[in-house]
This record gives sequence, structure tokens and C-alpha cells, in this order.
Amino acid sequence: MTAPATVGAGSRAARAARMDRRIARVLRVGTLVSVGLLAIGVAMMAVTGRSPLDGTWPALDPARIPADLLALRPEGFLWLGLLTTLSTPLLRVVAAVVGFLGAGERRMAGLGTAVLIVIALAVIVARRTAT
Amino acid sequence: MTVLLLLAAGGFGAGIFGSLLGLGGGILIVPLLTFGFGLPFREAVGVSLVCVIMTSSAAAGVYLERHLANLRLGMLLEVFTASGALVGGLVAFLLPERVLAGLFAILLACTGFTMARRGAAAARNGAGPVEPVEGSADDPEVSGAFRAALGGPGYRPARLGVGIGGSVFAGLVSALLGVGGGIVKVPLMHVVMGVPLKVATATSNLMIGVTGAASAIVYLLRGGIDPLVVGPTAAGVFAGAMVGSRVAQRIDLRLLRLLFVAVMGLTAIQMALRALG
Repeated sequence: MTAPATVGAGSRAARAARMDRRIARVLRVGTLVSVGLLAIGVAMMAVTGRSPLDGTWPALDPARIPADLLALRPEGFLWLGLLTTLSTPLLRVVAAVVGFLGAGERRMAGLGTAVLIVIALAVIVARRTAT
Repeated sequence: MTVLLLLAAGGFGAGIFGSLLGLGGGILIVPLLTFGFGLPFREAVGVSLVCVIMTSSAAAGVYLERHLANLRLGMLLEVFTASGALVGGLVAFLLPERVLAGLFAILLACTGFTMARRGAAAARNGAGPVEPVEGSADDPEVSGAFRAALGGPGYRPARLGVGIGGSVFAGLVSALLGVGGGIVKVPLMHVVMGVPLKVATATSNLMIGVTGAASAIVYLLRGGIDPLVVGPTAAGVFAGAMVGSRVAQRIDLRLLRLLFVAVMGLTAIQMALRALG
């Protein structure tokens, strides 16, 4: 009588382990990409003699990032690295939501979605209250 | 060029010490940037948040692969840490910097005290300073099946209501002071909710990324994060944390911990003086 339950628990544990590994990969790749981009940006700052503490810094304009990257300007790499850093934990949540939905765990998927809603709210509120 | 190298070296130092002592880098980065480089407190917090998100992502990947972090419990609590962080990020722009410095001084004093206690406990044959509550304590408002799903081998988290309230507070602290908030979350999960210490530490680390992102987005969109400072500092912190995690087993941490408690005490006094004007 206990065998099916054991098999069920075993497959659930295996599924959870697979999901942990998948999410770990998302985090590792995200971290490496963001560190790489920031490191390139820092190297370019050194080459161009740009000081980090001159009191002014380039405003965030996502539309300008591709042009800055192509022109090998440090700010393009730094902004992209910074945005990748902030996006990595959010991609982790998206990966978890997808995994939980695939496993039929709707309550956990709902929690992940709630996290993403809070982040979306942060973007909206910050934009509205920005001077 | 010199400032660039100094920022990277400072970040490296914060990363290596933070990693050796089991702290997020935030508690070191904010004083480094404010006292060492003259950055306004709020700018230092913005930079620090990016650094702690980066180190958290790197460490959380390892914790998940080793199945130490509890993803389900982390996702439940981070709904509330992120909500607290969103509010904290907004409040940070309303409070005078002197108030923030005062709060940071209190945080430094608490961290120093905790570290000194941990050191004393370790000296007594590694005994933990506190005993957790029984993990399967009754929590009538939460269904048993759901709580069981949030648990792991040998434990079920207790007192979810308190855990949720404490998570909001941890998010607030993180957003106001630019730290990971482990000083709140780890005792909350371990002592109050009965989660094993290793799991609590790993899960707290996993949650830092989302918590930090919620407030860092507010700082970023309100113009509070300087990418030119983030670059060298974050790269340095990451490199330092990597080195620290590799040499941790070969270093006698007792002297380092003592030294660190002293440094933290002095920094707390400096922060308190700044708060008092």
C-alpha cells in the first residue's frame, strides 16, 4: 500500500531537484554575464581615463545602450551589466513559476507571480514618484 | 585611475571579509563608500544593493545545486520581503540622511554584538547561541498540507504569521540600509520558525536577490545609482567573495572575528556621530 506513495514522493523530490538545478543554472549564467559586462565597463573606464567619482553620471536610457555598446563606451557596458544584475533574481522567479506550473503546483506558481507583481509595482511606483 | 583601483580594491576587501565572516557585503560597502570615498549615504546604499544582489545570485546558485536552500519557503517569504523593500525604497528618499546613518549605526552595533556572541558560542564547542522552536508546532491558520509543502527533510516551518511579519521588516531594513537583511531573516527562520540553521542561511541568501531588486529598482529609477561607482565596486566585491569562499577553510577566523567586531564598533560610533551631526 505504501509503494505508490513512496514512488510519488520520490518523483516529487526528483522533480524538485531538477528544478533547483535549472534555477541554479539561471543564477550562475546571469551572474557571469553581469560580472563580465561590468568588468568590460571597468576596463573601458580605465582605458578612457574616466573617473568614477567626478560627481556626474550618465542617466539610464535603455534606448541608448546598443549605441553605447557599439561605440565601446563604458556606460553602455556598465548599465547593461547593472540591469542584468537586477534581472537575474527575477529570471530565477520566472523559471520557478514555469517549473511549478509544469508540476501542477498552482499555489507555488501563484506565489511566484505575486513576487513578480510586487516588482512590477516597484517599477510603476518608482517611475511615478521620480522627480 | 587611482580612484577606480581604490574602489575595486575596497570592494575586493569587503567581498573577502564578508565571505569569510558569513556577512553580506552591504554592511561593509556602505561605510566604505560613505567614509572612504565621501559618497552621500543614499548613493552608497544604491551601490551596495547592486553588490549584494550580485553576490547573493552567485551564492544562491551554489546553495540550490546542493539542495540547501528551500525554494518554496523562500518564495513565500520573499513576497513579503519584496513588499517591505518596495516601501523601504520609497521611505529612504523621504528620510533625512542623518536618520539613515543613525539606523545604520544601530545595525552595525547589532551585527557586532551578534558576531561577538557567535564567537563566544563557537568557543564553547560550537554550541549555537539559541535553540530553535519545535519546527512542527501547531499553526492552526495554515493548512497542514501547505505547511508540509514548505518544509524539508525533518522539519516543517512553524509560526508562518510571525515569519511573514518579520519578512516585511527584513525587506524594510534591506532597502533603507543597503544590506541583505540576513541579520533579521536567519534568526527569524531558524529561531522563530524552526528551520535548520544551514537551510535558513541558504534560503535567506536566495531571497536577497529579489528583495534587493525590489528596492534597487526604486533607487535606480529615482536616479540613486551611479553605474560608474557600481562597476569597480561590484566587480571587486564579486572577486573578493570568490577568493574568500575558497580560503575560508584555511583561515583561523577567531582573530579575524575579534578584529572585525572592533572595526564594526568604531564604524558604528562614526555613523552615530554623523547621525548626531
